[in-house]
This record gives sequence, structure tokens and C-alpha cells, in this order.
Amino acid sequence: MPETKTKKPIITVWRVILGVIFLAGAYATYLRFVVGWSAATNLSDAQPWGMWVGVATLCGVGLSAGGFATAAAVYLLGMERYRPIARAAVLVAFLGYVSVCVGYAYELGLPWLFWHALIYWNPKSVLFDVMFCILAYTTVLTIEVSPAIVERLPFNGFKKTYMHWHHRLATAVVLAGVLLSSMHQSYLGGLFLIFRDKMYPLWYTPALTTMFYLSAIPAGLAMVIITLYLCNRSLGTKVDPKILKEVAWVISPMLILYFVWRMVDLVKHGGGPYLFKPTSEAAYFWLEMALFVFLPVFMLNNRWVMNRPEGVYWSSAVVIAGFITNRVNVSINALERATQANYIPKWPEMAVTVMLVTCAILAFRYAVIYLDILPKKAKSTRKWLANAGVAANA
Amino acid sequence: MATNKKALLIDITKCIGCQACAGACKEAHGVTGDPEPKLSETALTVVQDKNGKFVRKQCLHCEQPACGSACLVGAITKTAAGPVVYDKSKCVGCRYCMIACPHSVPRYEWSKLAPYMKKCDMCYDKRVSKGQPTACAEACPVGATIFGDRDEMLREARRRILDDPKYVPHIYGEREYGGASMLFLSDVEFEKLGFMIPPTEAPLPEVSKAALDEAPMVVLVGGTMLAGLYWITNRRREVLLAEAQKKTLKFPVGDEEERS
Ligand code: SF4
Ligand code: SF4
Repeated sequence: MPETKTKKPIITVWRVILGVIFLAGAYATYLRFVVGWSAATNLSDAQPWGMWVGVATLCGVGLSAGGFATAAAVYLLGMERYRPIARAAVLVAFLGYVSVCVGYAYELGLPWLFWHALIYWNPKSVLFDVMFCILAYTTVLTIEVSPAIVERLPFNGFKKTYMHWHHRLATAVVLAGVLLSSMHQSYLGGLFLIFRDKMYPLWYTPALTTMFYLSAIPAGLAMVIITLYLCNRSLGTKVDPKILKEVAWVISPMLILYFVWRMVDLVKHGGGPYLFKPTSEAAYFWLEMALFVFLPVFMLNNRWVMNRPEGVYWSSAVVIAGFITNRVNVSINALERATQANYIPKWPEMAVTVMLVTCAILAFRYAVIYLDILPKKAKSTRKWLANAGVAANA
Repeated sequence: MATNKKALLIDITKCIGCQACAGACKEAHGVTGDPEPKLSETALTVVQDKNGKFVRKQCLHCEQPACGSACLVGAITKTAAGPVVYDKSKCVGCRYCMIACPHSVPRYEWSKLAPYMKKCDMCYDKRVSKGQPTACAEACPVGATIFGDRDEMLREARRRILDDPKYVPHIYGEREYGGASMLFLSDVEFEKLGFMIPPTEAPLPEVSKAALDEAPMVVLVGGTMLAGLYWITNRRREVLLAEAQKKTLKFPVGDEEERS
């Protein structure tokens, strides 16, 4: 997370860390594309999907859910209070999806043939739908964030025409985005439906699509909160902490709804007896519940915690940790018993993932510094809205 | 119902573990080397010793292959003759087929920089499409693996079960996951030999299709609802805006913050 204050010294701790991340990432990239899979990953015939699918794709897409949720709230449901954070939320989603696309370059065996997905359709394949949603929604997100860049261009004529058309199409674009990403979040769960006989009963349910959707929204909102909190702290933006707190309030009921639904569904589909077996799966399951539901629900309903911005921040962080645990459980831990793979990611897998996340954070940081993404002064919030938010999007 | 669908009948009680099929398979696919204990990118069929029983493992050529419905680009298809074949020129290397297969059959060329998926192709191109038996069936010295029309193979299997009480009265592959082109006979229960016993006979593609079919509905209903909601909020905003303009206020937003 970019917590650097713009200080004088050229060599700061953060810059050193960044350097290490990029060096490691570059070397891991070399291993993956020049030396080969075996050098770069611990994937095997028993465990063909690992960290890149489990964390980079599943979590990347999930944590981007704040974008469509906020966009729907502001642009479609008219919750004007949240307009100051809508642009930032959409930008988080955009960068999330771009990272996922880049992640695919590592993840696919033959990434230079990715366009096959566009010409050889297999509508029976859930992965085909996932790919299609990723491509379509990334396009939509690009359109949604474009005004922030276009308004900085020096060509006035072009700017005017662009904004005019963007304004006219904005609602349709937002609507398409909300639907696409809703579909997409559920399809990601749908990917795992065909693994029925290999997945541990604590995670397999025909309702995986609903579960993925229901868990993505609170996690995506938590991601927005974290991002904005950090921007306020280190980039001098002035997002009203009250707004962040309000967003945080919505999370807790969503988590409870998810939990109840998940438990009813689990018992209905025969997962009940597995809950308290002394297995590693049960331990993973309760860890997931602790981080995604119990701890955050407690924190989010605790006055002492919620009355300070760090409290809001840390509750969101726990939600995200729980969410990541869930996606890793579904994509890796739930399958290990059946496949008998003892998968632990190799360091280049982690290095690539960390590098992708770092790139997204840096891109976000510079976007906030150089573009009109977030209000920078409290007093002029209204003027900022008039100039940026409202002008750019109906 | 006479179809010209082919199948292999593998009688586990007859297999002597000589590895002739595994060797013939390697030869037919232009790979050299000794028979291997596990499926790999160079061993598309193997003979495994399961407590004294010799069990062949390879692709079962499902009637409704999970791998085929999973494949992003439709590179895996079921041919009319029975074999499930792979078109490597389409593959993008997503490896979804590998996890989707309930029998964990497909392998991957992990050591290559342009890796492809590998699995038994039932000698489709070189033999079965020309009416010849597979290399493994031809090589088997004791007739533990035989090749023929699927209907005929099923009849033969039933005949054996009726004639000899040592067999468990079950033809694995007749109905599992919707049926397959590899049929097995055994004198011990199949689950003891490591066969995947599905909870229902429904083919896996149907399981995930059920969920997919809902999605367009979600979009339709969700889209209409959202558009409706938007229309309402938009009306409200227009009214607000009109009132605000009367008061020469440009935007009806942000007022609250200013007052506080
Ligand atoms: S056994 Fe596996 S690889 Fe073979 S057709 Fe069936 S699903 Fe596909
Ligand atoms: S690895 Fe190739 S054959 Fe297998 S599902 Fe992906 S694209 Fe299809």
C-alpha cells in the first residue's frame, strides 16, 4: 500500500521495497516465459490451477466488485452522497480487471493465442463465459474511467465531443457494467460446479454462483474503503470519513446474509457432518468464517472500533483477508483431498502476484495525484463534483 | 438401436499386467520409453497394480465429456464414432479440462514452453476413423481389451456377467457420467480399484449447465429492474433539478456538506 509521504530523500524504505518487488517480479517473469513452467510454478497434473487462478483472478475480480456496486448506487439509484467516491471505486475495478487480464498472460499455457477465445466459441464452457465477461467488462470499465483522462487532454474540440457522447451514453454503459459484472461474479463460482466429485463438501454447492456473488459485494466495498482511507492518509485527498463509515455499515448486514445463506445451503446439501470433523478442511473453513464473518461483523458493530477511521480501515482489511481465504479455499484447498496434490505456491508465483498488485496500486496512486479522481480539498468538494464527477457522468 | 459407435471392453479379470497395451500405445503415438506407472504426457494409457488386480487407466471417452464442455475454445469434441478428440490448434492452455475431468485424465506438457494437453485419443486419426481397432486392443495377447461396436461390447459384457458369477454385476462406463466408450468388467467392486463412483448418473456438463442457464434470466430481470429504478431516480432528479434551477442553483448536490 502506498503509504509514502512525499518526502525529500531519494532512497526511501518504500522505494527499496518497490525495487525488490519489481526485480523479483521480473526474474519470475523470465522464469515463466523463458525457462518454463516447472521452474516458475509448483503446478502439476494433479494441481493444474494454483495461485494465479486462486488469488490473481478470483480475488482480483472479486475485489473489483466495489466498482459496480458503487456505480449502481450512485449513477442508477441516485445515491448522490456517494458520488465523491464513485470515480475512485470504478478506477479500482478498472485496475483490478486490467491486472486480471495481465495475470492471464502468465496463467495461460499459450497466452499469445488468447484471441482464440474470441473466434472459437464454446458456449457450453463456463470459462468461455468468464472470459467473455472479462473482455466485455474491461471494455466497459475503460469507457467509464476514460473521462478522467480525456478531460486532461489539450484538444478542446475533441474533448467536447467526447464528453457530449459520453454523457449521453453514460447510463447505458453503467447499466451494462452492472449487469456484466454481476454475471461475471457469479460465473466465477460457476467455474467450480463441474468439479462436483472432486470438491470437498464444505465448499461444493450448486449455489456456488450465488455464493460468489453475495460474497463479492461486501469484499469489493471493503476494498473501496481501504483504498480511500489510504488515499486520505498518504495522498492528501479529502474523502469524508463519514462516507467511508456509512459504506462500512452496509457490509455487516451483507456478511450476515451471506453467512446465513451459506449455512442453510451447506446443511441442505449435506455438508453439515463435515463441519466439525477434525480435518484440515474444517480448519480452513472455520478460519474463513472467522475472518470473513465473525471478526468483521463484531468489529463493524462495535462503537469503539467504528468511531475511529483506523477501526473502519482494519475491519475492512479483515473482510478482505477473509474473502481471499474463501477464494483460495474454493480454488485450491477444496480440491486437494481428491487430487492428492500438496500444493504450495513457488516463490515466482507469489512474486508475480505481488508485482501485479503493486502495479495496480502504483497506477491508482498516480491517477489520484494527476487526475481528478477524488476531491482534494474539503471546502471545494461541491465545486469538484460540479467539475469532475457530474460533468463526466450523468 | 444400431449406431456405429465404437467402444473398448476391458476385462480386469483377464488382464495379466504384461503392459503390451501401454507399449503399443507409445509406439502408435511415436513416443519411446518404458511403460510408466502413472499417466503422463508420454504415457496416455497405463496398467496399474491395485492389490493384485491390473487396472488400465486412460481417458474413458465419455458420451458427454466434462473436459469437452469445460474447454474454453471447444478444442475437445466427442466424435460420432466414439473417441473424444483434441484439436491442439485451438487450445489456449487454460487447463480447465484437466480439473473438469472426473477421472483426472488429461495431462499437461509442463516442461515445454508451448505446452499442450495430452490424453488418449482412442487412435482416432490413424485407426478408428479407418475402421481399424485401437493399438492397445490389437496388442493385448489375452483379449483383456477388445474393440468393437459399443452395443456389441455391452452385449458381450452382459453375457460374461451372466455366464460367470465371479463378476460384479456392473459394467463400469455403461452409465457413469452419462456413459463412456471404455467399458470395464471386474470381479471386485469398482470403488476398491480407484474408480470414481458418481453420486448420480447425470453427466457433469449438465450439472454446470443448469447454473449457466439461469444467468441470462438474471440479466434480463436484473436489467429491467435496474432500468426501472434508474427511470424513477432520474425522474426524481429531473424534478429536483427543475426546482433547483428555479432557485438558480446549479446542482442539487453537496448542499448538506456545505451547511454542516
Ligand atoms: S475421461 Fe476425462 S478426459 Fe476422457 S472424455 Fe471423459 S472427461 Fe474427457
Ligand atoms: S487446456 Fe486447451 S484443451 Fe484444455 S480446456 Fe483449455 S483450451 Fe481446452
